[in-house]
Amino acid sequence: MSKIRLEHVSMRFGDFYAVKDINLEVEEGEYITVLGPSGCGKTSLIRVISGIWTPTEGRVYIDGRDVTGVPLEDRDVGYVFQNIALFPNMNNLKNAEYGPRVRARPPEEGEETAKKYLSLVNMLDRSGMFPFELSGGEQQKVAIARALSSGSKIIMLDEPLSALDARVRMELRYEIRRIVKELGITVLHVTHDQEEAMSVSDRIVLMKAGTVHDTGTPIDMYRNPQSVFAAYFIGETNLLEGYVDGRTKNGWTKVRLRGGKTVKAEKTDLANGDPVVISVRPENVYTADDGIRADIVNVVYMGTYWRVRTVAETGDYVDYNVSDNLTPPKIGDRVTFVFNKSMTQVFERPKEGLTEAISLE
Amino acid sequence: MPEITLENLRKEFSGGIKASDGLDLTVRDGEYLCLLGPTGAGKTTALRMICGLTKPDSGRVLFDGKDVSGVPISERRTTMLSQRYALFPNMDVYGNVVFSPVIKGWSEEDTKVLATSMIDMVHMGKKVHSIPGELSGGQQQRTALARALASDSKVLLLDEPLRALDARLRIELRKELKSMVKEMGLTSIHVTHDQDEAMEVADRIAIIRKGRIIQVGTPSDIFQNPATPFIANFLGRSNVFSGTYVGGDSDHSEVEIAPGIVVKARPADMEAGEKAVVAVKVGATVPEVVGAKEDVQDRHLPKVLPDGYFGGTVERVMYEGSTITVETRVEGLGIVSSQRSSRRYEAYKPGTQVSITWQPQKASVFRMPENGLEDEMRLE
Amino acid sequence: MSLLDRINRISDNSGARKAWFGLVVAIFIFIIVIPSVYVITQIFADWDGVSAVFNDSGKMSVIWRAVAVSFGLAFVVTIFDIITGLPMAWIMVRKNFKGKNVLDTLLDMPLAFPTAVLGLSVLMFWGAPEGVDIPGLGLHLSPFMMLILLHIIFTYPYMVRSLSGILEQIEPNYETAAMTLGASRWTAVRTITLPLFRAGLVTGFILCFARSLSETGGTQIALKMLGVNSFYFTGPTYIAEHKTSAVIATPEMILISTILIIFALLLLVVARSIITRMGVSTEKVWPELGRRLSHGAAPVAKDSLAVLILFLFVLIPSFYIFTYLTDPGSVDTGKLISTTATSFFIAGTAVAFDIVFGVPVAIYIARHRGDRLVHILDNLVNVPLIVPTTALGVSLALFWSAATADALPALVLVILGHISFTYPLIVRNITGAVEEVDPSYEETAMTLGAKPFQAFYKILLPVIKTSVIAGAILAFTRSLGETGATQAIAGSNVDTVPIYIVGLVKNGQYPEAAMASIILIAICFVMMLIVRRLTHRGGSRNA
Repeated sequence: MSKIRLEHVSMRFGDFYAVKDINLEVEEGEYITVLGPSGCGKTSLIRVISGIWTPTEGRVYIDGRDVTGVPLEDRDVGYVFQNIALFPNMNNLKNAEYGPRVRARPPEEGEETAKKYLSLVNMLDRSGMFPFELSGGEQQKVAIARALSSGSKIIMLDEPLSALDARVRMELRYEIRRIVKELGITVLHVTHDQEEAMSVSDRIVLMKAGTVHDTGTPIDMYRNPQSVFAAYFIGETNLLEGYVDGRTKNGWTKVRLRGGKTVKAEKTDLANGDPVVISVRPENVYTADDGIRADIVNVVYMGTYWRVRTVAETGDYVDYNVSDNLTPPKIGDRVTFVFNKSMTQVFERPKEGLTEAISLE
Repeated sequence: MPEITLENLRKEFSGGIKASDGLDLTVRDGEYLCLLGPTGAGKTTALRMICGLTKPDSGRVLFDGKDVSGVPISERRTTMLSQRYALFPNMDVYGNVVFSPVIKGWSEEDTKVLATSMIDMVHMGKKVHSIPGELSGGQQQRTALARALASDSKVLLLDEPLRALDARLRIELRKELKSMVKEMGLTSIHVTHDQDEAMEVADRIAIIRKGRIIQVGTPSDIFQNPATPFIANFLGRSNVFSGTYVGGDSDHSEVEIAPGIVVKARPADMEAGEKAVVAVKVGATVPEVVGAKEDVQDRHLPKVLPDGYFGGTVERVMYEGSTITVETRVEGLGIVSSQRSSRRYEAYKPGTQVSITWQPQKASVFRMPENGLEDEMRLE
Repeated sequence: MSLLDRINRISDNSGARKAWFGLVVAIFIFIIVIPSVYVITQIFADWDGVSAVFNDSGKMSVIWRAVAVSFGLAFVVTIFDIITGLPMAWIMVRKNFKGKNVLDTLLDMPLAFPTAVLGLSVLMFWGAPEGVDIPGLGLHLSPFMMLILLHIIFTYPYMVRSLSGILEQIEPNYETAAMTLGASRWTAVRTITLPLFRAGLVTGFILCFARSLSETGGTQIALKMLGVNSFYFTGPTYIAEHKTSAVIATPEMILISTILIIFALLLLVVARSIITRMGVSTEKVWPELGRRLSHGAAPVAKDSLAVLILFLFVLIPSFYIFTYLTDPGSVDTGKLISTTATSFFIAGTAVAFDIVFGVPVAIYIARHRGDRLVHILDNLVNVPLIVPTTALGVSLALFWSAATADALPALVLVILGHISFTYPLIVRNITGAVEEVDPSYEETAMTLGAKPFQAFYKILLPVIKTSVIAGAILAFTRSLGETGATQAIAGSNVDTVPIYIVGLVKNGQYPEAAMASIILIAICFVMMLIVRRLTHRGGSRNA
């Protein structure tokens, strides 16, 4: 039996659907990230699950029980806020004790629980301090301890890291995952940061315009995205427009790009002449003696590799990587490259046009 | 376009917070410099002292060698692009962009030509008469940029210009931002706490911490040759080990990081027996699978990796797109992280025995900081 | 070079900016603060007269009783306002419902009514035991009870407004967070939101207390209609009844004014420290009780009661005067027009002065929070607000007659008086508005080449314009309704509308007084509507 199940859930404000007809099942102990651009409805979704909002249509089940009408204080779903929302009138220990206290647990038991979770997030030595005395990352750790000590087995994380420094964000995301996995807690983590989503989740739910656009494990989403938008939003990719131009003997799809060059790509059942978009990630672009010609317009050091940006003869920008053990090419140099055909995906060209389909705002 | 020099700037706010504590920095003519540091390091204060919004307690700000402390803000020709863009809510996009020309009393003709070209450059032609509240985050950012570029300023100060945007959009816009600013040839200082952003846009990066500049250099300089253990872990994650310097030569140095474990790093000017810190980027830390075929960092190169320094057991493998992160538990050292190409995802499973190695010239050695390692590495 | 260019140029000079600011602060201190409390020095200057009164136990017992009535009244009214205003503030901030806009406007209405009019209307509604032959409920209430009912009306809106203001600033996420941790709404509010309320409570407390303490016109009318005006006093009515045109201030007036001022200022300090230290115990929780109070009938009952109280105690009594339209009295049109003109002239001049010399102070306070000088300035602004206006009037008259050797005409003195108690309203309002505006607007403008004055004139001013207008209207209506200060300064030499209405009531001309009141209300109402229109349009554009 799944831990959380949504059936045709919609959340409507006037004529506007923040969330539209969502069906979703979450297994016990699963770490799910709900990923998408601003305004895609990801926060609305977890607000509906936690009971902060009641959906205008559809049912929400937790442990098989219909909780659609159950008020949020009885749902037992923890919630960690983007702006942290630690109670400013209480010190960290009192914050963490709040859950047990309002459920009228004996004070000793409450304190013990609070201390247990504060120590789990390494904040026990600061339990006497007030939230304003802590840095952003430390505050968020206390907020997580507070949500855990109320005894919830399900936790919603509403962009828990976006108010923090980039480097702190990276450390904390691994720490959060470690803690919740240790406790076997079911998590829905909302974020707009695809890197964050990729690195912590068991499964990603990609949302767009109030609906679930695509869902899968990080590796599925990266290697086999089901749409141009998913390919573009998760990880970096080169997108080139073209037309299907036959098949090779082995069944690879041939795609004719702008400017006339033809490349091989994954097997598809699209018909000859269909307008398509191919997606190939920078690490699957190799320089070669023959292939697509391109001029280098920018070279950026990315730490372990150089990211080279070129303008290809097809008129598109194509990026590829060069190991930092090698000398990078110079701006203005001319290169030729080929694509790894098994890693080149073909999508039907979106009717609304490519730019619109991958629009982030 | 001026060269900007900050000389021993000091600024203390009430409560004894030292936002600038002897700040020295030179920004070259036409350069795009990133001021990178954690929250509270004094990044914004430094910008505000350059444009005159904050007066330093002591020290000087020089433009092309001339002290500008007597020049009012409005005449410094340094434009600030702030975090929330500060688009004037009582004006539409056009009104915002022409603000500076109108204030300066330019002819209507010139104003219009300039404004139109700026608005076109940032692709806001369709939104000329929208008010700021109707624009998306990215559009607001572009409008603010057009307004700054239309102001005839010589210096552009960008205060976390991408912070308010979504992660994915941020990546798109930072490329765009840099190319537009570069096209205008302005001297620019871009404040950020985001390492990837700094690496991607900066000509040079200045790392700031506790009101001081602790290193200035090109992105690859700082990444490869960090000046302190903090920088090693701040610009790109590093595995950091503390130990004792045991010897070395002009080619490499050797540090004992746990009883019996001696690792190699770049040569260092240290005495045997000194307390030392070794930092290796996670991307340079290679876990070779024990018993597997040769696994070199890059197959284009001859074998460059020494034999493993120590062994461990893979505890977790995280798929992150183009890369994977492998976390290895090592007896006596705890968790050691490595970042590898995601093509090697299938090679690692929890429980896989690995031997950890790196090229000596990719590991830095430092003297143990006076206040201890934990204090040195604090990110907040 | 035009004037504007010249100002722009000068504004670049930090010395010039400091000089202008120094001038504005000097005006604030010498024209507004010092005259407001000058009367205290007269205790010593007129020691003989004052000590004679002090030794006259008959007079002193009347004075002490008046002071006690004033403070007791203010205290009871403020407590009532807190208890009933809190749920109302909740409704206004956290709930969305049809007609919220209407309720919002209605809530402000009593502020637009001159208190003299309210006095008449309330007495008619609750009924007077004797001497009034108008339809009403005819309840037999003691004068003290009647004054409570009256004072609730014009203090209640202040309380709801300041509580709403603070509630808007408290993160609603705190409550939500508490509820996700298992707290019922009632428990969440009690343990999280209420303890965060204290700062707002101080402002609300001071505003209501001061307003009640100052009130003269309505109180005079009420006491007169009850027929107890010759022996039952509040502090302000005591002064008003003893004012004659012969002398500026009798020793009795000096004494009671000083007592009122000192007590009021003490109260300001005490209330602040008590409320900020007051601990609400959040340790104990009663989950079952909380649950029962959070769901079902209890919250509905609470909200309905809050709305009922608003209508029964505030709105209906205020509007009751319109029943007189069924039997209109004849009005001396000439007299009404001339007094209205005087009132408008006084209010208009005072408000213009407030804006020119108050806006810079407000901006300075808002932009330099944390500065010690600003902290002092900020507290000084409260002084004329808390000083009862009648005492303020006495003080002011004494100050200017001493300072100018009686050279100033009564009308100018009255204007100066009205400036004193309206100035804080404008400064408070605009300080709040400026604090909401991100300073990076002006800073960015300056880095784009704008001079400091241009940044103010082109950016800040347009952004806060609606708040300036709203503050101006608030001050204008407050001035229009003021009786006590005018009387204390000029006796019957300057005839404003409220004084005219009080006069009519004193002569027993109730229908005429009611008719004049209705006309005045109509004028105020139209003005309020205009302001609402202006502020709302601005609001939606800035959103």
